[in-house]
Parts: sequence; structure tokens; C-alpha cells
Amino acid sequence: MVWLGDTGKDGLMMMSRWGVAAIGLGALLLASPLATAADERISGRFILESVAGLPVMDDVYEGKVRMITFGYTYCPDICPTTLATMAATLDKLGAEADQVAPIFITIDPERDTGPHLKEYLAAFHPQLIGLTGKPAFVAGAARSYKVAYRKNPPTDGDPAHYTMDHSAGIYIMGRDGRFLAKALHDSSVEALTAKVRAALR
Amino acid sequence: MRRRTLLTAVTLAALVRPMTAIRPALAARPQGLILPDRPKPLPPLMIGDGEGEPVPLRSLPGRLIVLNLWASWCLPCLTELPALDRAKAALAAEGIAVVALSLDRLGRSAVLASYAKLKIRHLDVALDVGREAGTVLAAPSLPTTLLIDRHGNEVARYVGAAEWDGAAAVALLRALAAGESPNGIPAPPPMRTILL
Repeated sequence: MVWLGDTGKDGLMMMSRWGVAAIGLGALLLASPLATAADERISGRFILESVAGLPVMDDVYEGKVRMITFGYTYCPDICPTTLATMAATLDKLGAEADQVAPIFITIDPERDTGPHLKEYLAAFHPQLIGLTGKPAFVAGAARSYKVAYRKNPPTDGDPAHYTMDHSAGIYIMGRDGRFLAKALHDSSVEALTAKVRAALR
Repeated sequence: MRRRTLLTAVTLAALVRPMTAIRPALAARPQGLILPDRPKPLPPLMIGDGEGEPVPLRSLPGRLIVLNLWASWCLPCLTELPALDRAKAALAAEGIAVVALSLDRLGRSAVLASYAKLKIRHLDVALDVGREAGTVLAAPSLPTTLLIDRHGNEVARYVGAAEWDGAAAVALLRALAAGESPNGIPAPPPMRTILL
């Protein structure tokens, strides 16, 4: 095992040498090897699909502060509480929540179909917006947020039981769509609410 | 050799630069049985049932409290809930209390729907009324189960689903209820989530 400094603001991560090599290769394939500082900017652009199957571009949320996270709904052993934190934040914002677009973008469009996403997100908060899309478009959205992900083979032989690794965190985008801040996936409701409120000012 | 490993890592880290590195999300976080260096005093937390007045977690009676954090949207939680239900029935007479604390936003109705679906017979409805359990108990993933001694200290926690009604879990719970050290007692085996 080796320890690596994360390139983002996520603190440390740990993985095997082979894991590191695999990600290095993945990064080469996904991102330009000649990336410059300008490329590190989080553009936040995407063309995805709503849970009803309609095309959705990032600019439909123009005028709203966006709270965006990437993930997938099938948690095989533990489930992150990120969406519950986003839901509690919306409640805490009160009337101000109307000016916020809380968005969950799946990095597992194969299993997270529109109807499934809709049902899953309804358990957290009625305002949550689920986005999915064709794999190439999901990959494009992830690139816009510097989010990396990969599929892990299933351990039990059932091809449907694969897991996903992905960058965690919640992106706060301003009313004009510009990246403002990133909150850690295990942020407290207070911390996330403060970040969103700051973006609303 | 170590240096080479480090160099390889640094080189590859440089290649990864343009992307935020993949954090093997929560998978790389510690799972299973976690024993703190010393018993950790529990932070204040209010628990409600959706009908009566909420009560402080610290006021719950029992030689040992098994505090399970779960939610209806969490499949591994639903997988383990029936085992907790059976454990509650089996261990109540020994003063071991099992509390399944729901983090569901919809509260009592979401809990009752899950209980009905899973044929839960013994667990009471327990709600995180302040919606702060995950934060104050430092549990960023579900299920997480805290084992709390009679003095209100966390003596162990289990991250992920476990066979709470199995022999290993029962032995662990009995030892902790008796105030014995959990060191050397095998951890309860994890429970496989039923997917799809």
C-alpha cells in the first residue's frame, strides 16, 4: 500500500500500487496528458437526461445556486449519507431552498435508470434532481467536474453486483454556473448550509 | 525498493494531476468492528418515536445499548434489520437493548413501511429527530452500529451490516454488557447485502 496526497481537496487516499497504476492509465485516457492550469478549472458543463428521459443542460439551472454530487445508488456494503446531508441542508435553508438546485448525477447509468433514480431520490427529499445519461455523456459531465470513477468487478461472480469507485464531495456552483466551493462528502449539515448560504448572497 | 515505490507513486500522482483522484469512495474506510482506544463518552442526542416527546439517548436503560443507525434507502441496512430484530428479542432479558435509529427524513411513516416489509416484530420506532445523528456520532455511512455501555460510553462500533443474532455477535454483546474487554473476541461476521 502507498499513501498519496490527493490532487483535490479531499485529503489523503490510499490504494495499492496497481490501483494507482490503473488510475494513472485511466487519467491518461480520460484527460489530456498536456493539461495546463487552465484545464483544472471546473467548468460544470453537462448534457444529461432527467429521470423522465428529457435532455438537461447545466444552464437550465441558471439563476439558481447548485449543489451537485456524483454517485450511484447501489451500495453493496455501506451507503454514504451525502444525500441525507443534502436533504437536511435543504430543510435548514427553509424558503431559501427554492433558489437552490440540488443535483445527484449518477456515474452508474447502466443500473441507475431514470425511474429507479426517481424512486431512490424521493426517499431523501422531493426537491432532489436526479440526472443520468448515455455513458459518454455521463463521462463528459464527470470530466467537467474533475470527477473520476471506475467500475470494480463483482466479487461474487454475478455480473450485476459490481461496485463503483468515484470521487466524493459536493460541488457548490453559483447562480451563473461558476464553481464556487467544494464540500467534503461527510460535511456536517451546518457546514454545507453555510457554504450554500454564502453562495446565495 | 521502498524508494522506488515512492517514486513510482509520485510519477503516477503527477499523471493523475488533471483529475481529482478517485477516492475509493467509502470502500477504503474502515469497516467491520472498530474498538476505540478508550471508551468514548456519547455526545448528547435526542431520540423520538414520532408520537411522544423525544428523550435523550443517554436516558435509555440497559446494561448495553446496541444503537443501529439505518435508513429505508440503505439496502445493507434493510438486510441486517431482521437480525437486529431477532437479537432484540433474544437479548432483552439480559438487559441488552437494541435500538434501531432511523435517519429517514420522513420519520415514523418511512420506518413503519420498512418494518412492515421486513416483518419486523420487536424493534421500536426510533427517530433522529434533530437529524444530526450522522454528524454528532461521526457516522458518514450506513449502517453503523454503536455499542454503548451503561455509563453512556461508546465501547465499540461496527461499520457495515453484521449478523447481530449470530453466535459471535451474541458473545461480543454479552462480554460488553458484563463490562469485559472486547479484545480477543472475534468480530461478528459481515452480512451480505441482497442486491437488486
